[in-house]
Amino acid sequence: MRRLIILAVLLGAMRLVLPLGSGGEGAETLLAFGLLVLGAYTVGEVATVAGLPRLVGYLVAGVVFGPSVLGTVTEAAVIRLGAVSRLAVALIAFLAGAELQWSEIRERGTVILKIMVAELGFAFVALIAFLYAVRGFLPFTHETPYIEIAFIVLFASIVIVHSPAVTMALLAETGARGPVARTTLGIVLVSDVVVVVMFSAAMALARALVEPATATPPSVAATVWEIGGALVVGGVLGVATALYLRVVRRELLLFAVLIAFLGAEIARLTQVEMMLTLLTAGFVTQNLSRDGVGEGEELRTAMTRAAAPVIVIFFALAGARIDLRGLVQLLPLVLPIAAVRAGAIWAGTALGARWAGASPNEQRYVWLGLVSQAGVAIAIVSIFAEAYPERGAELAALLLAVIAVNEMVGPILFRRALVASREVGNRRSGATEEAAMAPPPPGPSPA
Amino acid sequence: MSSALVLVLVVAGAYLAAHVVFEWLAARFLVVSGTEYLVLGILAGPYVFGVIGEGVVRDFSPLMTLALGWMGMIVGTEAYVPKLLRIRRVYYRIAVLEAAMSFAAVSGLLWFALHWGFGLPPRTAAIPSVALGAVAIASAPSGILVVGKQLGWRGPVLAQLAVASAVRGMVAITAFSLLICLVHPAPPATSWRPPTPTEWAVLSVGIGVVGGALFHLFLGRERDLDRLFISLSGAIILASGAAAYLGLSPLFPTMLIGMVLINTSPNRDQLRQALGKVERPFYLVLLLFAGAAWEPPVGGPRVALVLTVALFLIARMAANLGSARLATRLSWMLPELGPGWGRALLGHGELALAIGLNYVFLEFAVMPHLVFTATVASVLLTHLFSARLVRAVARTDVALFVAPNAGDTWQPDDPEPARS
Repeated sequence: MRRLIILAVLLGAMRLVLPLGSGGEGAETLLAFGLLVLGAYTVGEVATVAGLPRLVGYLVAGVVFGPSVLGTVTEAAVIRLGAVSRLAVALIAFLAGAELQWSEIRERGTVILKIMVAELGFAFVALIAFLYAVRGFLPFTHETPYIEIAFIVLFASIVIVHSPAVTMALLAETGARGPVARTTLGIVLVSDVVVVVMFSAAMALARALVEPATATPPSVAATVWEIGGALVVGGVLGVATALYLRVVRRELLLFAVLIAFLGAEIARLTQVEMMLTLLTAGFVTQNLSRDGVGEGEELRTAMTRAAAPVIVIFFALAGARIDLRGLVQLLPLVLPIAAVRAGAIWAGTALGARWAGASPNEQRYVWLGLVSQAGVAIAIVSIFAEAYPERGAELAALLLAVIAVNEMVGPILFRRALVASREVGNRRSGATEEAAMAPPPPGPSPA
Repeated sequence: MSSALVLVLVVAGAYLAAHVVFEWLAARFLVVSGTEYLVLGILAGPYVFGVIGEGVVRDFSPLMTLALGWMGMIVGTEAYVPKLLRIRRVYYRIAVLEAAMSFAAVSGLLWFALHWGFGLPPRTAAIPSVALGAVAIASAPSGILVVGKQLGWRGPVLAQLAVASAVRGMVAITAFSLLICLVHPAPPATSWRPPTPTEWAVLSVGIGVVGGALFHLFLGRERDLDRLFISLSGAIILASGAAAYLGLSPLFPTMLIGMVLINTSPNRDQLRQALGKVERPFYLVLLLFAGAAWEPPVGGPRVALVLTVALFLIARMAANLGSARLATRLSWMLPELGPGWGRALLGHGELALAIGLNYVFLEFAVMPHLVFTATVASVLLTHLFSARLVRAVARTDVALFVAPNAGDTWQPDDPEPARS
């Protein structure tokens, strides 16, 4: 409460003195950045008191300070702070990759693959069926049936995407390391690769029926390079990072930020999938590092430290991008789609978990961790909107509204899953939850 | 190539170069690291090889503003009153006298040079000369820290140097910020009348003191380092952004916030640790971009410009040596401190560059590149050997030092910033 009052005072003081400034873009961006950090931090603390994940608080702060409500953080500032978001995604992806141990993949790989196949397959089919049934309410009713189907398939291929960022951020926040946490993380990470392929295939189908606006639509070869190239580039980056840890091993905080920046930029320039590149780099680094001297662990700690403030900003900016008015208008259509998606994820995961012989907790709770959507889904929507700027505009707005709902609800559900499976304590305070954790159930060791 | 990639590659290259080559040199010859990044920045900048273009420097100006704010905060945290009270008062008297005399001497001399040499009106000439005066008294504490650690912080000279370095930093920041308040242009059309210099100064102090009080309440008893780091970052970003938005220096308000927080927070140790976490990365970025932002000075004949830079270097050296000796004599401390301890203050470093860089980016700066070139030249000439200069002065003193009197030993809370 105290922090909320101080924040309000700061906001008032800012409004009072800002007319005296001539500003400049850089200074304005810094101001917005500072306010967003403090605002997100404060609302994040309030969220923990209410028993919600901090992430939800960061998102809410973004919505409140963003262009939709108070407008303290303008749309231009949100765009200029995009570099921080990219850095956050890169750090999160590297950390996610570093979480994966080769021994664990050998041990749990089959379980993860089976659940993922069932979940993605079931959700994809169910969503196509539902969207086809309600196509009269969707924004492309004036199209021919083939085009309608192509757009429905495209729509479904985006709606099934999960969020590695939310999953990793929540695991970092709660410190959960049990089977539900690790299986969810595994599914989310592997599905990140699969959804890119599915989206590319759906785009190819749509492209065959409707000419895209972009001059050079992504080809099959480009998609193969996007994924294969990411593995190669990430592998090279991982080897280089492991070498650095072995030979130099200093200034790890700075090095962590540099690696994330470098990986993101190389991925952008070589046109490979950025998250997969960093994920591979993290995985290779962790598995090439010498555990005995704690090389990988040291870098992971430095990365987690570097990621802490950028995660706050990443989710606050994600919140600021939510168009609240648009969301409210589309809510009658968004809520059924989100509900069908959640139901399909539940059914598909339950089916897959039984097929894989997963533990009862995994069968019961993993699906709750798969509801979240954030950065990857938004990135895919932007590709779609770029390809079909006229036809896709309304559809993109609808997709962003669905993502916004899942972005808000997903972290709450995932946290509940971790609490229910006793992988994290059910504390309603800002203290580190690791300290309050119940003894972890038997599961693979993280290191 | 994208600006972000350029930045990453330059930082990575600089760091590796420093690690491979410079650390050996530093250990072998007692030289202080930092200058190599500045040189690299100049070489990579738009006026030599052009790897970092003007656009990149402009793109990353918010990061530099943030680095200035961070530096101001670190300077402010030096003013922890209970620690300051343990030191003999005479050291402060000498330090303040010495800083004021050096500042006045350098500013005065440069004012004459700019007024007569370049034909600038008196008021206009005062702007760059006061900026140069502020730059002149911003000594590098790194050499003192290196030698202090090596010799065990014993003897009155090291204590005097540590106090003088801290006082000089604060006086330099205050003088520079006051200069900005005095010559601040009127903001774009508002319904209010434009603020007077006093009101700008009050605003600058207000951001620092009110911000410090609010952030003290905001941080509360938070002891978790990561969460403290997030909220502290938010506070520094907001204060730096507000100061830069108003056209003021971010150094001064954040210095005041640092002073308030370090003296009122129950978690001051964690606060220092949180600040120290990114101190080195920020220094590095600041040095690199200071190098990249360098431009050859314009606004007069080349010979006159070069002579002015040379005059600054000589004036600074003479003022440091002379004012230290005079202040010591006036305080009857010559037998204890000796006449030549001012030599140890010749090392110029990050704070001087921060002030110079801040000046370059001011819209109303007069001869900004001349001021900045003088700053860069001074840093290049002295920073490398700042530790050797300190050791030359302090070694004899420490060897003669027998029984420590109360207040004769300086115990920094954190002589070496916490590193990851």
